[in-house]
Amino acid sequence: MKQASEHFRFWEYIAFIAVMFATLVLCVSVGSVSVPFENTLTIIKNTIFGLPIPGDISSPAIISASRLPRVICVALVGASLSLCGGAMQGLLKNPLADGSTLGVSSGVALGAIIAIAFNITIPSLPFAGTIVTAILFAFFSLFIILSLAYKLDYSLSTNTIILIGIIYSMFVNSVMSIVITFASDKLKHITFWTMGSLSGSSYQNALLLFTTLIICSAIILSHGRELNAFAVGEENAMHIGVNVKRVKLVILITVSVLIGVCVSIGGTIGFVGLVTPHIVRMLVGPNHRRLLPASLFGGATFLMLADLVARTLLKPLELPIGVVTSFIGAILFIFIFYKTRSARG
Amino acid sequence: MKYQSRIAVLLVLMLTLSLLFGCTQATPPASPSEPASPSEPAETEQPADTSITVTDMTGKEITLDEPATRVVALTASDCEILFAIGAGDTLVGRGEYCDYPAEVLEVPAVQSGANTNLEQVIDLEPQVLLMSTMAQTEEQVAALEAAGIKVVVSDADDIAGVYENVKLIGKLMNKDAEAEAVIENMKSTFDDISAKATGDGTKTVYFEVSPLQYGLWTAGSNTFMNEICEMLGLKNAFADVDGWGEISEEQVLERNPDYIVTITMYFGEGPTPEEEIIARTGWEGVTAVQNNAILNLQNNELSRPAPRLADGAQLMFDFVYGENAQ
Repeated sequence: MKQASEHFRFWEYIAFIAVMFATLVLCVSVGSVSVPFENTLTIIKNTIFGLPIPGDISSPAIISASRLPRVICVALVGASLSLCGGAMQGLLKNPLADGSTLGVSSGVALGAIIAIAFNITIPSLPFAGTIVTAILFAFFSLFIILSLAYKLDYSLSTNTIILIGIIYSMFVNSVMSIVITFASDKLKHITFWTMGSLSGSSYQNALLLFTTLIICSAIILSHGRELNAFAVGEENAMHIGVNVKRVKLVILITVSVLIGVCVSIGGTIGFVGLVTPHIVRMLVGPNHRRLLPASLFGGATFLMLADLVARTLLKPLELPIGVVTSFIGAILFIFIFYKTRSARG
Repeated sequence: MKYQSRIAVLLVLMLTLSLLFGCTQATPPASPSEPASPSEPAETEQPADTSITVTDMTGKEITLDEPATRVVALTASDCEILFAIGAGDTLVGRGEYCDYPAEVLEVPAVQSGANTNLEQVIDLEPQVLLMSTMAQTEEQVAALEAAGIKVVVSDADDIAGVYENVKLIGKLMNKDAEAEAVIENMKSTFDDISAKATGDGTKTVYFEVSPLQYGLWTAGSNTFMNEICEMLGLKNAFADVDGWGEISEEQVLERNPDYIVTITMYFGEGPTPEEEIIARTGWEGVTAVQNNAILNLQNNELSRPAPRLADGAQLMFDFVYGENAQ
């Protein structure tokens, strides 16, 4: 076995980006309605350069207004969730860490449901109320989980956080049921929201996701070295001069912002953040300075492919994307788990 | 010693209670083994005594000693039918989602589906409980029947089924004439609009059940919307989908419907469902959007197997062929 490099090497960046773009092209050209590949290219090229679309291409909006923004949003959500998963797994030294095990996803969902049930809106910006409330709840959830964890255990040990995260999720789920019982007239709204959908994603969604991802990934990726130290052990990290508490706080807050935005746009999509880092770890090794960028591109690729299956398997019907990710993800996860265990033993 | 005696008292209490429960279960409700006339019980009426025998839509036979005067209806459409045949005053309990007509809301709700509060239902002492196959679990039916409540199950998946259910409920309430009138009324509306409808099945309608934000859901074939669509000489854009389903946005753009009927609720904030559809990027090219041919039916006229299907059909007729139609 060759010695893995400390950094994510240039050619590796090129390779991962190439695979991601190839997937993007595949996902934009294949869909529920079949559009010839040349037409797809022309539509995209002409939309980008603002040229008029030739009249012989029927309904260009299928590509430019529906499929392209959706695929882009899916890629960005996949990248964000996987990056979060990778960072959480390193930080908490726990292979099961993910936005959902931390309780942030549930918190976000509760925020969105409360916004829907009690009609929290921002005048003139419909639906923004849901997103803002959801992000606030992500912070709020994190604040509760962390302060409880601090009370129990000043060093914020990983077990405490995971335990409190799971208890918090359960508590939040029961609160959600109570809210839903009281707001039964909005049940349809709420049910659809919790099922999550990236269909109807717009370029505005993509821009919001992209901006958040750029800022948050810059913060997370710059902490790769500290995460490596955490992976060996918190005490070890402290001994080699890592400001353990500060790094933890920074990463946790960044992760919750990223998850807050993703969940409020696409709903809760399970297993992406959990599985992708495990898959790419097999490819690039456990070093976070390599693992995190690889998770970013790998997550985008994985979720785009899952979305492709969701869109085309039963066309004209669509499957909820979470069903596909959980189905593929659970099987992959067991496979990887067994493989790494038997390799070790 | 004191502690032990308390336990003893508790045990005795529990035993007595279990005996009580045992008793209620041991007495079977009106024995189903002696039906009045096994051949065609739904058709036969026995004017000699006041007893009523009907066969519900799952084929189960139900005999009432006299017309029902206390009814719990778990399904919204059954509530609507009760009120339509003038038997609304017999309703003593309703399912959570029964909301039409407005008087229904004054009746205590007993929740719905798997959460149906059986104790509350039994406490209301109805003779009859109306539910649909969708809301039914066998355990619930068994528990209610053990408590002496007749459970009548409806299963209407087309307009003919609605007629059957109206007739069934009419019979239970001894309001056959009223039920016939309701059915006649529906039939005449349907006949009227299908006679006047000039469509030749080329124009397409896309039914939107949930808006883009939550993923598009539509009503395909084997739905009331599809049936009414055909009645109006129109074609359901998603007739290849069976029942209700989530569909891709690009499919709607590709099929380019001439009309859009959305049943999205409007809560009085942000754009109305029509405005929201018009504002969607990429939908500018859809014929229905270009012609502003979008109808919002938000009171479940087209989604419930109830007499108001006729109202929904009339609204759709006016929308497509009426004076202000595009």
